[in-house]
Amino acid sequence: MEEKPARLTGARFLIQAEEAEAMAKEAGVAAVTELLPLLVPAAQRLARPPISNYRVGAVGLGTSGRIFLGANLEFPGLPLNHSVHAEQFLVANAAAHGETGIRCFAVSTVPCGHCRQFLQEIRGSAEIQILVTSDEEPAFRPLASLLPLPFGPPDLLHKGVPLLLEPHDNALGATVVPGGGGGRGLFDAIGEGRMEQRLRAAAEAAARASHAPYSGCAAGFAVADVDERVYAGSYLESAAYNPSLGPMQAAMVAWVAAGGGGGGEDGGWGIVAATLVEEEAAVVSHVGTARIFLEAMAPGAHLEAYRLRSSKAD
Amino acid sequence: MESGKFVIAAQEAEAMAKTAGVAALKELLPLLVPTALRLARPPISNYPVGAVGLGMSGRIFLGVNLEFPGLPLNHSVHAEQFVVANAAAHGEAGISCIAVSSFPCGHCRQFLQEIRGAGEIQIVVTSDEDAAFRPLSSLLPHRFGPFDLLHKGIPLLLEPHDNDLGSVESAVIAGGGEEVYEGIEKEGIQQRLRAAAGAAAKASHAPYSGCAAGFAVADGEGRVYAGSYMESAAYNPSLGPVQAAMVGYVAACGGVGGEHRGWGIFAAALVEKEAAAVSHEGTARIFLEAVAPGANLNVYRFRSSATV
Repeated sequence: MEEKPARLTGARFLIQAEEAEAMAKEAGVAAVTELLPLLVPAAQRLARPPISNYRVGAVGLGTSGRIFLGANLEFPGLPLNHSVHAEQFLVANAAAHGETGIRCFAVSTVPCGHCRQFLQEIRGSAEIQILVTSDEEPAFRPLASLLPLPFGPPDLLHKGVPLLLEPHDNALGATVVPGGGGGRGLFDAIGEGRMEQRLRAAAEAAARASHAPYSGCAAGFAVADVDERVYAGSYLESAAYNPSLGPMQAAMVAWVAAGGGGGGEDGGWGIVAATLVEEEAAVVSHVGTARIFLEAMAPGAHLEAYRLRSSKAD
Repeated sequence: MESGKFVIAAQEAEAMAKTAGVAALKELLPLLVPTALRLARPPISNYPVGAVGLGMSGRIFLGVNLEFPGLPLNHSVHAEQFVVANAAAHGEAGISCIAVSSFPCGHCRQFLQEIRGAGEIQIVVTSDEDAAFRPLSSLLPHRFGPFDLLHKGIPLLLEPHDNDLGSVESAVIAGGGEEVYEGIEKEGIQQRLRAAAGAAAKASHAPYSGCAAGFAVADGEGRVYAGSYMESAAYNPSLGPVQAAMVGYVAACGGVGGEHRGWGIFAAALVEKEAAAVSHEGTARIFLEAVAPGANLNVYRFRSSATV
């Protein structure tokens, strides 16, 4: 099969439905699904894995017809469970754009068990079609064939609880119990107060959209660069706990997907400030981890943490 | 104080099998799962998981899930990981079968790939209607694993490791808790912690990052428990040295306190590579903050040329 990898100009992590159709035509394939494997090399080029130097790219098709890219991210100086897999990137990217389902995706390496598990959070996950471009004979196969007899949301949740990619609107408390980090001086330069408000609002919105049905601990994280652009991500929990995507990781997905720099061979991400929003006395808390994450990734960046006290009954 | 038996010697296992009237040791495993379940410590989910593994030596290793409130969920230890870390700590060379109370999740099916011959490990799930042993390869077909990244000949998990720690520079981080040990020489504790963490680092399985690491904790009576960092080819399922040490702690004595404040840990030591691409120092600090506030942590960084 002589198909050229499809070209993407610039670092693009989202392709609108119309453009996807047009690209499929241009590439000479009958369906947009066949376009996905052709985009995998482009996704791989966007990976930032300075520890392994093993690039993984994933390209998924949402039920909206939009295409989402994912690439793996690694963060030197931290334990490996801070890493983001390309498949998780893809899902978090889709979630951040309000995508309600993923029908299929192509990926450069066969998904590991951690990802096969993380994908269980999506309704109908068993039927997600997956193609591995490094296979001798790449073909779409259902996730169920890669993770038979899965452990997943139905083992722990009642029916009717929203799953990943379904709308969430977590009730967050209004009362703030502040607890911050350091580096106050950075805010003076950027526009103290206003930047802090934007970061907090973004992290709060992300927390409201967070998928945390197992612990009940919604959380969101927002980061800002020196140009005052703000990116935020929602905590996305896994029934199997450990594969959960932390809010910092979700925020970095947003950062990279928007073209944010950093994480390359020379290290250094241009993050100057960050904000975590989570619930007070959360049984799953990210405050300490957010601190060490920033220490490793952006030393000197200011971290603000807001713990919200809610009055909701559960 | 909860103290269960997490390791059953080969002879005793044989005797138990006879008493239970089962023909093979393998069939004894599911019968021990309820025992393991009772030892689990999952205060976040309240979903206990128990696992029982049979080593090539004929010894049986129990495993339970551990959860740590106040930390992200990736600090949790799964029962299957506990079995493997428990076996590794006891020098077990291989695991042939595992009985577990719930279907292993993808994270565990992946972690188990680190063992040579993982595909043939027989797994039985006691909650399964069709409770029959099936090979791990049927639970994780078309796997991603060590051989996607490593050359043949590199030791896999449960095979002997002897990482070169080179020279160990000491960087002491004062974390309080210094007056805890009355009547027991504080210096002695620190040395024993350092030695235990160092030995654990030497035995650590970290072929992907090359960053061997070991962690040790001491309880109020000055007993020391250590654990080795165990890396996964898929990175995220790796078992941190702190978690491995907690496995050692729980397996040895049930871990005083459990979900109650303190876990009974008063001091700890981390041994890891200097300027490591994979560093556990920050994580160890926040773990202790949440699980044993006031416990003293010393960090020792080694500079080595080769890690296997």
